[in-house]
Amino acid sequence: MTFKLPAIDYLALAPMLVLFGAACAGVLVDALVPREWRYHVQVPLSLVALLASGGFVVALANRKEHVVTAGSAVVIDGPGLFLQGSIVVLGIVALFLVAERRLEPGGAFVAQAAVVAGSEADRKQMRKPGVTEVYPMMLFALAGMMLFCSANDLLTMFVALEVFSLPLYLLCALARRRRLLSQEAAVKYFLLGAFASAFFLYGVAMIYGYAGKVDFRGINEAVLGSSNSKTLLLIGLAMLAIGLLFKVAAVPFHVWTPDVYQGAPTPITAFMAACTKVAAFGGLLRVLYVAFERSSWDFRPTLGVIAAATMIVGAVLAVTQTDIKRLLAYSSVANAGYLLTGTLSMNRDGLKYTMFYLVAYGFTVLAAFAIVMLVRDSDGEATHLARWAGLGRRSPVFASLFTFLMLAFAGIPLTSGFTAKFGVFAAAVGGNMTWLVIIGVLSSMILAFPYLRVVVLMWLSVPGDDTPTVSVPGAFTAAALFVGVAMTLVLGVAPNQALELVNDAGAFLR
Amino acid sequence: MIMIALLVVSALGALAAFLPAQFARFVSTGLAALAFGLSLAMYATGAGFWHEYDKPWVPGLNLRFHLGVDGISWPLIVLTTLLTLLCCGYSLWKTPDSRLIGLLLAMQTGIVGAFLALDLVLFFVFFEVILLPMYAVIAGWGGPAKRAAARKFVLYTLFGSMLLLLGVYLVVDQTGSADLAAPKGTATMAAFVFLALGFAVKAPLWPLHTWLPDAHSEAPTVGSVMLAGVLLKLGTYGLIRVAIPVAPEAAAKAAPVLGGLAVAAILIGGLVCLAQTELKRLIAYSSVGHMGFVLLGIATMSATGLQAALIGNLAHGLITGLLFFLVGAIKDRTHTGELSQLGGLRDSSPWLAGILGFAALASLGLPGLAGFWGEAFAVIAAAQRGWWLGAALAAVGGALAAAYLLRMLRKVTHGSSPPRLTGPAGYELAAWVPLAVLTIAVGLAPLLITDVTGPAVDALVEAIQR
Amino acid sequence: MSLSPYVPIVGLFALAAAFALFSVAAAPLTGPRRYNRAKLDAYECGIEPTPQAAGGGKFPVKFYLTAMLFIVFDIEIIFLYPWAVSFNALGLFGFVEMVLFIGTVFVAYAYVWRRGGLDWD
Repeated sequence: MTFKLPAIDYLALAPMLVLFGAACAGVLVDALVPREWRYHVQVPLSLVALLASGGFVVALANRKEHVVTAGSAVVIDGPGLFLQGSIVVLGIVALFLVAERRLEPGGAFVAQAAVVAGSEADRKQMRKPGVTEVYPMMLFALAGMMLFCSANDLLTMFVALEVFSLPLYLLCALARRRRLLSQEAAVKYFLLGAFASAFFLYGVAMIYGYAGKVDFRGINEAVLGSSNSKTLLLIGLAMLAIGLLFKVAAVPFHVWTPDVYQGAPTPITAFMAACTKVAAFGGLLRVLYVAFERSSWDFRPTLGVIAAATMIVGAVLAVTQTDIKRLLAYSSVANAGYLLTGTLSMNRDGLKYTMFYLVAYGFTVLAAFAIVMLVRDSDGEATHLARWAGLGRRSPVFASLFTFLMLAFAGIPLTSGFTAKFGVFAAAVGGNMTWLVIIGVLSSMILAFPYLRVVVLMWLSVPGDDTPTVSVPGAFTAAALFVGVAMTLVLGVAPNQALELVNDAGAFLR
Repeated sequence: MIMIALLVVSALGALAAFLPAQFARFVSTGLAALAFGLSLAMYATGAGFWHEYDKPWVPGLNLRFHLGVDGISWPLIVLTTLLTLLCCGYSLWKTPDSRLIGLLLAMQTGIVGAFLALDLVLFFVFFEVILLPMYAVIAGWGGPAKRAAARKFVLYTLFGSMLLLLGVYLVVDQTGSADLAAPKGTATMAAFVFLALGFAVKAPLWPLHTWLPDAHSEAPTVGSVMLAGVLLKLGTYGLIRVAIPVAPEAAAKAAPVLGGLAVAAILIGGLVCLAQTELKRLIAYSSVGHMGFVLLGIATMSATGLQAALIGNLAHGLITGLLFFLVGAIKDRTHTGELSQLGGLRDSSPWLAGILGFAALASLGLPGLAGFWGEAFAVIAAAQRGWWLGAALAAVGGALAAAYLLRMLRKVTHGSSPPRLTGPAGYELAAWVPLAVLTIAVGLAPLLITDVTGPAVDALVEAIQR
Repeated sequence: MSLSPYVPIVGLFALAAAFALFSVAAAPLTGPRRYNRAKLDAYECGIEPTPQAAGGGKFPVKFYLTAMLFIVFDIEIIFLYPWAVSFNALGLFGFVEMVLFIGTVFVAYAYVWRRGGLDWD
């Protein structure tokens, strides 16, 4: 018996390998380094790893050589690299938020997650610094997301899905304040996520039954030429789609989103809103554009209806929210709908502008959550909207920044939100999905209301006694906030560089 | 370059107002004056664009930074900068809050930008920029029900701009170009309908007008002036500059419908005005009627009609701006706008009564004042087009205007005599006099305007009939 | 298609089933019966059974921890076995990969050990 060893292009895998290696090193740091030093080792380690990973992505992008490697399990192509780069950059900004310890002694994370919430031991640990395992977990999640975007077969994709999901489930449970809410969020996310993973895996099995292959190229060929029953293909595709749509928080697979976004520690919420979205849509784009492009007649109407429902339900429910984190969660649902609209154009522009939208939205949402982290009173973050009344008088600078971010979410020109929305809608019109654009445009009108309501609340209400103060951000949060706001502005006013980047990324490699 | 300078000066003025300094509002007002000067300096003659500036901005989105000014847009730009300057000056003394002045200038940036834009996407960008400052002006400095009015304003306007956005997508998708300087004119009926509906909300065309009275009656004086004076003009300007040129065939097909709605707006606006009991709402509804004449002129798609529309636009901006200033002055003094509680202005403040009478006469279209030309020629153009019934009904609508304005005058100026009111302050006169003078000037010598707009309108008509 | 390759598997199943059935059936027939309290209780890994799990229905987290650790090493063995079988064919590459794999598991082991996961109390 002889084995043919798969050729492995280590440089092509370097961005992910670096992160996996650093994550393992991070686990060792937590095992071996004394408690008080861990934070000071973990943060630089994670940062250096992310920078190195980003450096490799840039080097690969400059190499301009697109490869299928590791026994055709991984493909490194233009869009994949762009998505990987976005995940790294957004991950760095999210890391800044996670690493913030100035706002609250010990940071936003609990010291010992296993202690029963509300017990004597829990009160004692309130003063202790938070767990440092969050850093390796974040790195694992980021590496998994990157693999998810560049997987070339469904099994690798499933492994990557689990690699980035499991750390996220755990991270959700680690809030320092409101711990029961946080644990509830984690359990919900875990149970529903496991369910979605099962759907995904079942879908993989169905597709394998149809095509006899799990790699995207093979599936694509099978869709063209296979004589097998199409039912298997459609069932498989539907199940795959359910697994993926769960991650992107599309209606009706969105019910976890508000609870998880509200319960999770705010930096983790930001991380999920920005990076998970990129990864999930990266995977969805690859599956639909590479493997199933030829059956787009079959899935476009169905997914179109889902996209429409996502936009409408997200927008309408956002109107009724009274908690800023839940509001942003529903806005994230609605944004998933816009991204789906771009995805379903099924043309070059659709791919381009969906990727652009992901980046633009990621930066804006990170900055928005950074501000949510800052608005706090003695009880932690003040997330109830009524508490934000009159914030404009208390701290005009942050209220102005938040106003700007809200306008970006609403898609007002000269912000990245406008550029991104304009792009995906234009692509969808070009892809003959005009009816979806009409719904999208109408829903974004509805969605503008909750944002405007927040703005009005901040500026036109008189601050009450319980209006919280805006804490002075530490260097990390300030950096994240600055990057997020600056990118929101730049991508709105001068998006040429970024648009060229997505343009140069070209199409997926099949 | 002068166009960019105008935009930059406006934007700087808006920013300067938010400086934490006492003199900030004076700096902003100074910049508003500078902007007015710049807009005057853009004047030139002839068809074609007097100034043009074209640079790609975001090629990926078909967005070019393409500005231009010609005979169609120049008068409106001057009107905008003039009214902004007057409003800024008025606010300096009336509501010494530099933020209000900043918002006015932010609005001016958007409006002037939209008038200058020769790229469809750029036009939309500027069009959207206006929304928020206006919302803030109503919601921040308005009357008792300001929140609801501001919300209604935003809801309608956003609805309009979303329809507009859909139109933009369709035009770009169908013609492959977003150019407005030389539009391809091959867009379909669907694109035209979306664009026209978007502009009709803004104009506002009956039956999409219901946001207007609420917004007006709650907005502060300067807000009403800007809203009636220039914001509504964006709707009609958009039809002339955007909707008709990009889809002339569809526009020709839709013209009778547009004309019919315009006539309906004239009649219904007039009838509703007769039943109004509040001064500001009355003038707001009168705007619906006046803009109906403008839309009727546009619907004829003839040189006469378009000329009438442009001059009507301008006249309405001047006269209604003046009327809102005056109503603001009355409400400041008597603290009510209810017609039943007003009265005797002739005795209590002859000055105010006199100039209000002048403005009302101008508004009802007295020959010799600015309001006459636009409405008269809109009716003539409709008759030339063969819409006899429409022309006759519009003329009846003009008579209705006389009826409700005279009713308003009777209620306000005659009647029992209240205590004497303070005379006009200096800042009020400074805001009224330029508008009154221009109303007379345009009324006596309409050639002042038609000479400017003529060549551009002829070129436009030629282009759309080709 | 010949079904012959499956015959041994079917045989194995039959054998397993027969063994299980035989054991269950034979034990009560042949074994001595000396009951006491402990024997009549439910079997719970040697700990004293209680009507309800201690701590208001919550099971001590330590058991889960042990179970999870078991799985880590279980998987390691499952991976090691096929590698060992085809060691010669996989050669140096396989060896390096396996060292990396064991290294990764060792990282987890080191973490668990240092952070007290192996201490019972």
